[in-house]
Amino acid sequence: MLTNSRQQGFAKVAMLAPALVIVFATTVYPMANAFWLSFQQWQLTKSQAPNGFVGLDNYIQAFSDRFFINSVVVTIEYTLLSVALTLVLGLGMAVSLQKRSFLNTLIRTFLIFPFAVSPALKGYSFRFMLQPDYGVIQLTLGSWFPFLKDMVWLSDPWWAMFWISISEVWGWAPLYALMFIGAMGSIPTDIFDAAKVDGASNWKMFWGVTLPMIQPVIIIATLLKIIGSLRIFDQVVTMTGGGPGRATQSINYYIYQTGFKFTNMGYSSALAYLFLVVLAVLSYMYISRLYRQEN
Amino acid sequence: MATNSLNRQQASGTPRIRWQAVAGQIWEVFWALATLFFVVFPIAWLIYTSFRSGLDVYSDRYFSQLTLENFQTIFFGEFSVVPEFFTSLFVSTATVLIGIPFAVMAAYVFSRFRFRGAQVLLVAVLTTQFIPALMIALPFYNLFRNTGIYDTPWALIIVYLSLALPYSIWMMRGFIDALPIEIEEAAVVDGCNEFQVLAYVTFPLVLPGIITTLVFSFIMCWNEFTYALLLAGQETVTLQIAMTRTIGIQGIAWELIAAIGMLVMIPMFIVSFSIRKYFVEGLTMGAVK
Repeated sequence: MLTNSRQQGFAKVAMLAPALVIVFATTVYPMANAFWLSFQQWQLTKSQAPNGFVGLDNYIQAFSDRFFINSVVVTIEYTLLSVALTLVLGLGMAVSLQKRSFLNTLIRTFLIFPFAVSPALKGYSFRFMLQPDYGVIQLTLGSWFPFLKDMVWLSDPWWAMFWISISEVWGWAPLYALMFIGAMGSIPTDIFDAAKVDGASNWKMFWGVTLPMIQPVIIIATLLKIIGSLRIFDQVVTMTGGGPGRATQSINYYIYQTGFKFTNMGYSSALAYLFLVVLAVLSYMYISRLYRQEN
Repeated sequence: MATNSLNRQQASGTPRIRWQAVAGQIWEVFWALATLFFVVFPIAWLIYTSFRSGLDVYSDRYFSQLTLENFQTIFFGEFSVVPEFFTSLFVSTATVLIGIPFAVMAAYVFSRFRFRGAQVLLVAVLTTQFIPALMIALPFYNLFRNTGIYDTPWALIIVYLSLALPYSIWMMRGFIDALPIEIEEAAVVDGCNEFQVLAYVTFPLVLPGIITTLVFSFIMCWNEFTYALLLAGQETVTLQIAMTRTIGIQGIAWELIAAIGMLVMIPMFIVSFSIRKYFVEGLTMGAVK
């Protein structure tokens, strides 16, 4: 710790202030504004200013709005699917690339690239590959499995959700693999030696030694992924536009539709606040984990 | 003879075990290559598509002649995205150039000084990262419309600062924490004030961390889609949004999206490759090393 002096007090404030002012101005203002809006009735197409205080009406409306409830269900399904797939694939990749060899080191370098592809582009890329008649995934699957020949993936409610998840998993699983490889590398090797002496198989060592040892990393990574998945938006816009029907309309997408397409500002803000409550709980879990990890 | 065959067995294992080892190795290489295929194929296919003609892209042929006409269209033709490219570049560059110095200073204070409320402030900064984008976007949309900032690059820069700053502060704090404090203390004893310590001692030492943070923040702004979609008017279309506008009367022009996609992703591949060593740390804001 550096020594204390009065001059230091000035330095601290001067160094902290610009960043904190920007961070809190760009979040506290919109949050306060949205909070106020969430109690207002305001249809932007009808008037330039809010039409008046409606109390908790917007919030009450949300609980009986079946499209909102649908978006909550869709978001939860999507989150479960994409988090599970990311974890399983990430672990699988980590195990397959764990050993040190020239080939594995080379492949590990490639693992960072999907992350650098923007979510919007991921969405377009997968939508393109899934197109009937000329999309490469559909062409290939159709020629291998004749019963899939006329499949229109993104017009099927379940498969549309599945492929949005895959586009997301494609970006994140490789990074999770990198994280897991790093964590696996720091397990002391004598634990494996001891397990081998006891006659444990590779499979048993994975479940009995590797997984428990990297559990802290898995938990942190999973929490981060859950928070990210709940906020899915970009690929919904570029892959399905919420369709077919409302099958892939996530919470964020529904709030977007309510606010920006149907310009129902008050209601949209109330929905955003309801969503914030859920995210706040998860963020709290994540941050407290982060701290435990550090200390 | 008996000892001889025993020796040979010891040298190469029993045939059964050796066969298993070979099969195991093939199995491992197979999965490693499967991973590589899964990771690389979508990127490779996009690159390939950007060099195919529109007619071929819409056919069921896998192979076709390569052409540069898509790049001609997006650079010089009716779908020119050169202005959008520079919008993206300007917004992202301005955000990191404004944000990173502030973030480094704040992170330095969080890392090196103990003061009341430090912990709470730091957590509050991180918490802002989890606020849903739509909640931020709606009030800003109204504010920008009322103040004339709407449809200028500054609308996006202001909002992107709210994304990049919390993240950068946390990352930089991790990098500064990792430096030994003794060097800084020696500088204080020699008569440096806090600003001089940061500028002449800490800054050069933590430069790799600063570059990593800068690259991550840049990628974050460059790839950002939600705010760009909601807050950009005709004059501030970024590359991400340019992709959504190639949809014309004939439907989606995939070959053009692929060509714009090259412009979107290739620069990010280059910068992320340059910081590949710090990738995992960067993603989890230092929670996983």
